[in-house]
Amino acid sequence: MRFLAYILRQTGKNLRQTWGTQIMTLLTVTLSVLIFAFFFLIYTNMIRASERLGNDVRLIVYLDQEVPEQMRPEFEKKIRDFAPVEKIVFVSRTEAFAKLSAQLGKEKDVLNDLGPDFLPPSIEVYPLKTLNDLTKISQFSDFLLTLPHAAKVQSGSDWLRRFGYFTNLLRVVVLLSAGLLIISMTFIISYTLRLTVLSRQGELEVLRLLGATSAYIRLPLLLEGMLQGLLGSSLGLAALYSLYQWIANRFSGPGFLKLFDITFFPPEITAGILLTSIVLCTAGSLFSIRRFIRI
Amino acid sequence: MLYFINNYCNIMYYSSLAAIRRAFPPSDKKGFHMPRDASTEKPLVELVNVTKIYPPDVVAAEDVSLRIYKGEILFLTGTSGAGKTTLIKLICCLETPTRGLIEVAGRNLSRISSAGVQRMRQKIGVAYQDFRLLDKQTVLQNIAMAMEVTYASPKLIRFRVEELLELLNLSDKRDKLAGELSRGEQQRVALARAAANGPSLLLADEPTGNLDPVATELVINLFRYLNERNGTTIVVATHDESIYADTEYRVMSLSKGQLSAHPSRAPHQIELFEA
Ligand SMILES: Nc1ncnc2c1ncn2[C@@H]1O[C@H](COP(=O)(O)OP(=O)(O)OP(=O)(O)O)[C@@H](O)[C@H]1O
Ligand SMILES: [Mg+2]
Repeated sequence: MRFLAYILRQTGKNLRQTWGTQIMTLLTVTLSVLIFAFFFLIYTNMIRASERLGNDVRLIVYLDQEVPEQMRPEFEKKIRDFAPVEKIVFVSRTEAFAKLSAQLGKEKDVLNDLGPDFLPPSIEVYPLKTLNDLTKISQFSDFLLTLPHAAKVQSGSDWLRRFGYFTNLLRVVVLLSAGLLIISMTFIISYTLRLTVLSRQGELEVLRLLGATSAYIRLPLLLEGMLQGLLGSSLGLAALYSLYQWIANRFSGPGFLKLFDITFFPPEITAGILLTSIVLCTAGSLFSIRRFIRI
Repeated sequence: MLYFINNYCNIMYYSSLAAIRRAFPPSDKKGFHMPRDASTEKPLVELVNVTKIYPPDVVAAEDVSLRIYKGEILFLTGTSGAGKTTLIKLICCLETPTRGLIEVAGRNLSRISSAGVQRMRQKIGVAYQDFRLLDKQTVLQNIAMAMEVTYASPKLIRFRVEELLELLNLSDKRDKLAGELSRGEQQRVALARAAANGPSLLLADEPTGNLDPVATELVINLFRYLNERNGTTIVVATHDESIYADTEYRVMSLSKGQLSAHPSRAPHQIELFEA
């Protein structure tokens, strides 16, 4: 118990003696956690969003002519021969019109002048979940375009492709900021500890003469790194959380952002980031201790 | 004038003795002046044919054999450069011998782990010739440090430090920075720090080098008291003849790294030493 009190007191002494540097270090740790967590948050949300999008991949083949009832099985067979499909829905002009006016609800008056024939007939193809590859989807949509009377195929694959590029880019950014996190934490912490050690060189020397154990000398320094990791990452995550709250409040409600319905990290990821920072900072201090203290 | 000093010394002596008694309550370990029976008793410190050569070729100790018994006070004398400090550093593991064996409390110093060295240092109080105080810390902090590394209770630390300061006539300097003290004051602070843990072995390197007769007397009284009441073994390296001139304790003399009984000593001591 008294041992702990002494270690804590010694740690406090260290922090006080180099408080200017300590604050700079804390800010650096905070900032790097913030940067990393920010990109990581976007990344995880992107992944979730693309999973959701992938779930309702649907190819719509617009036709310039209705497919008569008796021709439908033939169409279905052609499509199923090319790729496994979950279901195929034929939409006639009237059905398309009914669907649209149902979607418009009260506003459906605008359709009055247009007449029930203005929408083209179409075939909605729902591929199996296994068809999640962008190239396969685009091959499929190229094939669908060869069907008789097909005028245009809307697959959303262009869009998905861009989304995929973006996710890949983000992955690189996340990895880069993780690297930044590791480097800044270990290096900054070990650099700060070096300063602590140097500023207390004389004292450490005398402590050694007086028979201070290595725990008495090292533990406070280790604790210093740990504390920096804990405080820095807590601050960084808190900053990110308030940023998230701000964005969520600002852009809440229906609209295009509904797609990016952002959610914050689940508790286990938050805890993981905290823990990783603590481990990294402790490793940084350990590195410094091993290098600069010979006892 | 002499009368005055003498009188003053006596007053200081008696008031400081009271303080010593409070700081170091008597234990059953009694000190003694001479090794009781050198042939059977295990020495606290034993040097066997120890040679220390500083690179490239400075021989600071040559073939030194010495036994220091529990509870004795030993004066190590010799001219400047004779190797007194070197011998003290060898005993507290600050230097390693070039050749030879050193045992402290039965442990061979060449085989002791670094953790073992630290544990040992907690029980050996050393007052260094160059003091090794922290100039930017107060007298109180400097002395307390020695006890803090042993995780002593703050209450005990406070008490010991106050008593030691009173004892060495430094009470009014408690909150002064060590760097702002005179050499003589620093010397006493270094001694107080060495004695703070109630060590079983106290190594004092030139403890009176900067002191006036009054302060010297205080220091000698502290030694005597620690030795008689706590059985503390004390080694004093000095060339201040006044403190060992007519002492009843053992006096050894170093000359160019070679140890011998002091010439002024009776021959029976030489026998004892060689036994
Ligand atoms: N670290 C060192 N490196 C090289 N030589 C040293 C070192 N320390 C001491 N010496 C040499 O060893 C010899 C003995 O030195 P030591 O300090 O033990 O003498 P001393 O008896 O304590 O002298 P003084 O009374 O002046 O304190 C001297 O010649 C000194 O120059
Ligand atoms: Mg010396």
